Amino acid sequence: MAKITIENFVKNYGDVKAVRGVSFEIADGEFVSLLGPSGCGKSSTMRSICGLEEITEGTIYFDGKPVNDVRPRDRNVAMAFETYALYPTLNIFENIAFPLRSANWPDDRVKEKVKDIAHRMELESILNNMPSELSGGQAQRAGLARALVREPSVFLLDEPISHLDTRQRYRMRQFIKHIHMELGYTMIYVTHDQEEAMALADRIVVMHEGIIRQIGTPDEIYNQPADDFVAGFVGEPPMNFIEGSIAQVAGKWVFQAKGQSFSLPDYWQAYGGQLPAQVKLGIRPFYIDLNLDPNTPHDIEGEVFLSENLQDLSIVSVDVDDLRLQAVTTPSFRPERHEHIYLKFSPVYILFFDLQTGKAIRPKIS
Amino acid sequence: MIELRNVSKIYGQNTIALRNLNLNIQEKEFFVIYGPAGAGKSTTLRIIAGITQPTQGDVLRDGESILKVAPENRNMAMAFENYALYSHMSVYENLAFPLKASNYSKKDMDDRVQQVARILQITELLDRRPGFLSGGQRQRVSLGRCIVRPSGLYLLDEPIGHLDAKLRHRMRAELKAMAVDMNATVALVTTASREALAMGDHIAILRDGILEQVGTPEEIYSLPQNEFVASFVGEPPMSFLDVEPVQTDGSAALHITGSEMSLPVPSRVAQSLNGSTSGYKLGIRPNELSIASQQDEHHPTPGTVYILEPLGYCNIISVKVGDGTLRVVVDPTTRPGVDETIWVSLNGENIHLFYNEKAVVHPVEDQKVKLNHNHH
Repeated sequence: MAKITIENFVKNYGDVKAVRGVSFEIADGEFVSLLGPSGCGKSSTMRSICGLEEITEGTIYFDGKPVNDVRPRDRNVAMAFETYALYPTLNIFENIAFPLRSANWPDDRVKEKVKDIAHRMELESILNNMPSELSGGQAQRAGLARALVREPSVFLLDEPISHLDTRQRYRMRQFIKHIHMELGYTMIYVTHDQEEAMALADRIVVMHEGIIRQIGTPDEIYNQPADDFVAGFVGEPPMNFIEGSIAQVAGKWVFQAKGQSFSLPDYWQAYGGQLPAQVKLGIRPFYIDLNLDPNTPHDIEGEVFLSENLQDLSIVSVDVDDLRLQAVTTPSFRPERHEHIYLKFSPVYILFFDLQTGKAIRPKIS
Repeated sequence: MIELRNVSKIYGQNTIALRNLNLNIQEKEFFVIYGPAGAGKSTTLRIIAGITQPTQGDVLRDGESILKVAPENRNMAMAFENYALYSHMSVYENLAFPLKASNYSKKDMDDRVQQVARILQITELLDRRPGFLSGGQRQRVSLGRCIVRPSGLYLLDEPIGHLDAKLRHRMRAELKAMAVDMNATVALVTTASREALAMGDHIAILRDGILEQVGTPEEIYSLPQNEFVASFVGEPPMSFLDVEPVQTDGSAALHITGSEMSLPVPSRVAQSLNGSTSGYKLGIRPNELSIASQQDEHHPTPGTVYILEPLGYCNIISVKVGDGTLRVVVDPTTRPGVDETIWVSLNGENIHLFYNEKAVVHPVEDQKVKLNHNHH
């Protein structure tokens, strides 16, 4: 196990700047997810940590020692990719044992180690089977077990479950998270799926266009996004954004947009002066209350575009002028198309972003 | 309107894509074909379109076979996942092209192209050539080419599968609303359970070329006819525990395999038992359970916290109960520690019960709707 430090890391492919100078640290035993859309630089970063890519600029350290010039196989890195090619002529026991046999482990220690990992991965009953006899999920677990068996310094997973169906994905998520807790390996998990990153990681590194947008715990990323990119990328259905202006009306700070206005939440009233005149308001679909009765307290009003009943919840799309908002509500509430509807934003979940920079604005309390 | 009758499709010697499929797509409905990879979903669409001929069976429209009708004469429009766009034409011209054959005035044509571009959010791309578009943008233009002209039936093969989350949510609603406004008949293929539930008036679930169930979203979700449908619809997926019917104090109960726990069951569940002690599984959806830190009358079943997945708006807690695991969706502030003992609201009332993968009991609020096992 190792602590990994990435310092001013740059990766260019010819003229293409894949990673534009990123620095972060992964603690010994930590589970970190590199999250971002395709082309954000997450895979280049991971491949450079493995040693599969040459580093254009910067330094990568394992436990404080630079590894830029250390060959991949000497970094003691284990990798699991989306496709786990098991050796078709070896049974599952020998597949898992393979890295240990290559390292000349004595037979009794191989047995002990394989049995332990097989138990943890719920593979005991199929150790004598051949790879062709396994289900997709079993093959995935066997592949993971083989990668995990030799106690790597760091364990890297690149979109390991993205092609699985929903049931298998949820199950593998359970396994991967549980295995991390049991074995305590340093793990780096590359994904474009925000829910996977949230579910699994101790901390998430959100990347976009070769730079880091935010590093934080799932809670921080979700509740205190650093900018409108992170805010919009994490969470499903995605966060709603409304561009508008901040003004003081009759002694109250208000937000104005699309010909409507409402008072800022109480905790913002003392600090309204800190907000720029033009802002972007962010509110997640889960934190909007919908009501058909105009007499209920509301912030803005609009017209129902569509209600979608997903059985466990409903998503209602609402048009406010030319802006489409989405709100999540109970499945029994299904307003009709074109009905007039009133929206109340949960005050503590209202976020503001700078219109130019996209950076989150929080009250500076002196 | 469209009926598939005993349709089978065998590729080559013995690759069976579809087995004896019967489907009925009604006029003006949004019909979703849902299933995992290799289920035969795309083959079904292609057979309806006439691009692929069934090995056996018939395709009927308003009661008459259309097997011998050429694809271009079927009054259907199909959007493929990867549609070939005309690379020498702008996006605008690509969208206008299908309208040229019809008698559209220049203004009507322009109105329709602009409308479709607005719905698909590609207005700012209208002047570009396909070569300068991202994959997701091309997918939307392809979809636009399909829906731009009136058609008796739109066949859409994963039309929004490759889009990012923001666009996917938006497009899903736009497509559904457009179908409603146009009174269109749509058959859509998807591998996403939420897409199927959100869009479908009826959903057909295919697996390995076999129709597992067809029904409204509510029927599919609340009354899954078998374990596959139960586990494949809804997110997070339904949890399952192996159980063994036992008698305690003269009344029926379900013993959870690997645990000390037996759940007393009401008579309607007891009546569904066939005397066998193996082959039974209970199923329950993660949002239908709650947890408590102490045992109480609503939380009779003990379990051990296996992992906790924080998703921001909720946490999913996996709880080991006996040899199995239950998922429970809780609010984001509920954070029991791993390996902690907690109590789950699992009882003999609120369960789905499966015997050899077939559903025999559903939770009580759904008893109004009679179980229907006539599809096999």
